[in-house]
Amino acid sequence: MPVAVLAASAVWVVLADARVERKQAPASEPAGARFHFFDVAPTAGLRRVVHAGRPDKPHLLDSAGTGVAWLDFDRDGHLDVYVVNGWKLDDGTVVEKGRNALYRNRGDGSFEDVTEKSGADGGGQWGCGVTVADYDNDGWPDILVTNFGPNVLYRNRRDGTFENVAGRLGIEVPGWNTGASFFDADRDGDLDLYIAAYVDASLEDVLKATRTLDWKGVDKVAFGPFGLRGAVDHFFLSDGKGDFVEATAQAGLEDRARGFGFAVRASDFDGDGDPDLYVANDSDANYFYRNEGDGTFREIGLWNGTAFNAQGAAQASMGVTVGDADGDGALDIFVTNFSEDFSTLYRGVGKGFFEDATVQAGLGEPTFLPLSWGAIFADLDNDGDQDLVVANGHIYPQVDSHPEFRLSYGQRNLLLENQGQGRFVDVTAEAGPGFQLRRASRALAAGDYDNDGDLDLLFTHLDLPPSLLRNDSPTGSWLTIVLEVPPGAGTAIGAVVRVTAGERAYTRDLASSDSYLSVSDPRLHFGLGSFRNVDRIEVFWLDGTRSLREKVGANQFLTIRKDHP
Amino acid sequence: MMKQLSTSLVLSLLASARVGFAQATTVSTTPKELVAAYENLADTILAAKKTERELVRSILASTYNHAEAVFARAKTKIQAGQDARSEVEGLAALVGQLGNEGDAAVAGVRKRLVEGGHHHNAAGEQRGIYDEGFVIVTRAAKKVFLDAASDIGKLAGSPNASALESQWQKVKPQFAALEKP
Repeated sequence: MPVAVLAASAVWVVLADARVERKQAPASEPAGARFHFFDVAPTAGLRRVVHAGRPDKPHLLDSAGTGVAWLDFDRDGHLDVYVVNGWKLDDGTVVEKGRNALYRNRGDGSFEDVTEKSGADGGGQWGCGVTVADYDNDGWPDILVTNFGPNVLYRNRRDGTFENVAGRLGIEVPGWNTGASFFDADRDGDLDLYIAAYVDASLEDVLKATRTLDWKGVDKVAFGPFGLRGAVDHFFLSDGKGDFVEATAQAGLEDRARGFGFAVRASDFDGDGDPDLYVANDSDANYFYRNEGDGTFREIGLWNGTAFNAQGAAQASMGVTVGDADGDGALDIFVTNFSEDFSTLYRGVGKGFFEDATVQAGLGEPTFLPLSWGAIFADLDNDGDQDLVVANGHIYPQVDSHPEFRLSYGQRNLLLENQGQGRFVDVTAEAGPGFQLRRASRALAAGDYDNDGDLDLLFTHLDLPPSLLRNDSPTGSWLTIVLEVPPGAGTAIGAVVRVTAGERAYTRDLASSDSYLSVSDPRLHFGLGSFRNVDRIEVFWLDGTRSLREKVGANQFLTIRKDHP
Repeated sequence: MMKQLSTSLVLSLLASARVGFAQATTVSTTPKELVAAYENLADTILAAKKTERELVRSILASTYNHAEAVFARAKTKIQAGQDARSEVEGLAALVGQLGNEGDAAVAGVRKRLVEGGHHHNAAGEQRGIYDEGFVIVTRAAKKVFLDAASDIGKLAGSPNASALESQWQKVKPQFAALEKP
């Protein structure tokens, strides 16, 4: 076992021991409050403004926002943060090309901006999304940034610095690239890559844009996406030697409808042992690509229930998160959509089929008015079921001039508490000051940055620094599982973990992307309620092997290595 | 046959109209050459819309005929105790395509038309009867097809001839209703 791996594992355990006793209800919370979140970004050092074009947002690129990632780039046991940045414009002039930010977690609740010395500032591109994975199987996380322009793949040099290898690997594909996901499509042990794209647009189109679309007969707003030409998505197959080959058509992943692609999420949705792929398309049918078992795919969204909502309508989809909302062991898909249309919960009913369960889950009303982007399933109170967090914010600042429509540009993000069996209740108002902020939020990712056993939340907003909502809620027991694969021995991405405690079972999968253009904590977090230990932990690795642990104590970071079944 | 009005013809008509205007002294009506050109263009536009409807009807008919054949093949295989999974999934996909008024490639073409500002059923879209750019399949019909597609797809794991027949009987009348002009 490499020393670095051992050291990282040991660090997780020590930190868990030190922090677990600190949990207590904040004194300022009203009696009975289940959640308390506080924005610590300014004091923690996450201060760089995320630029988003012009104030009046005349082009959709001004409004699309950027992604965030939780990663441990230096493998010191503390989650670091990567924030993608856009450009600042003034009419048709570029005022500032925003720099992406890499923040190193100091381990004391604060972050150091190490962008400069890491060399991972994005290179002056207008950034969009981010995904993190060890694409070259060397044991260190690498960072892919999708851009409005050529993509950037930062290979981790293992010394705190990165080099951009996207051009050499042929994955730059200049355009308006958005969501991306590394996953092992053909289960050969190395990671392949899907990159979604939104609209065919040039920088000149963006700089010259004016607001021409009529909005409710009262104002002019940014035009599109209807009326704009969709850009095609790309799929790259890894050759196992660190190179990628474009294989979009061969793999059956041709974007023939030219969907307006945003978020991408890979997961074994049908439980047959290979990763499938879901792509959220804005205003078009969403794609569900079923893996046929040989690394080729078949688009089945039209008949497995995931292309449209229950009414058969395409929605303006932005973000995707995957979890087990009702605890039945089948993965569910939650897709965020435009304002005045609800976000949709596709409940997994087994064998890769889904049903729109939005209304039954109580998600129709709270998600109807907001314009939603990032979303995550996360057990925020460690009670054993996955809650939902949704990042909101309108794309038209002009809505603030028309209060009669009950909409606003800055919107509160949503915390929807799972009351068990997948029924959600809006508890935003009682979730602490962090959830009372009104911003044009976009990306969202969950991670336990202070290693105290609960998940904290990271958001990006347009034209503001990010928010880091520290979770100070009173919580139950927990278990966080770190999956490790020795360098050169395949990938942990795509593994499914099932934890059993008493009569309850909890399922999570490890993905390189989730939410909106973002990636959450690479460690899998399980809330356990009152359980002080779990009976079984099963890890189903993508190559068909399985690891098993029995009688494991709660409230710890547990590392499971693939070569230790 | 649809009349073709080339750009060069229009330009030459415009040029001759300009000459006529320069020579006239008391013109108070639109030059007749321009009116004729516009008449021609109107014929073309209206014919194109009718052609679009016929073409989409052909796409749907072709999809339906294909589906009908796949349904028959699936049924035969099921009754013979053979593996019919592929046929049943194929049928589900085709019925889904009826709901989506064509496959993804057709959707791409439809999107191009919408991009260009062409909405075949603009009024119907505003009234919520049609999805954007759809020509023949109403939202109500779309839902019937999509629900049937999903139900057919679910049968693929353990195909059953009578259950498949019962789903097909939902598709058949809905398609027949679309066939009516």
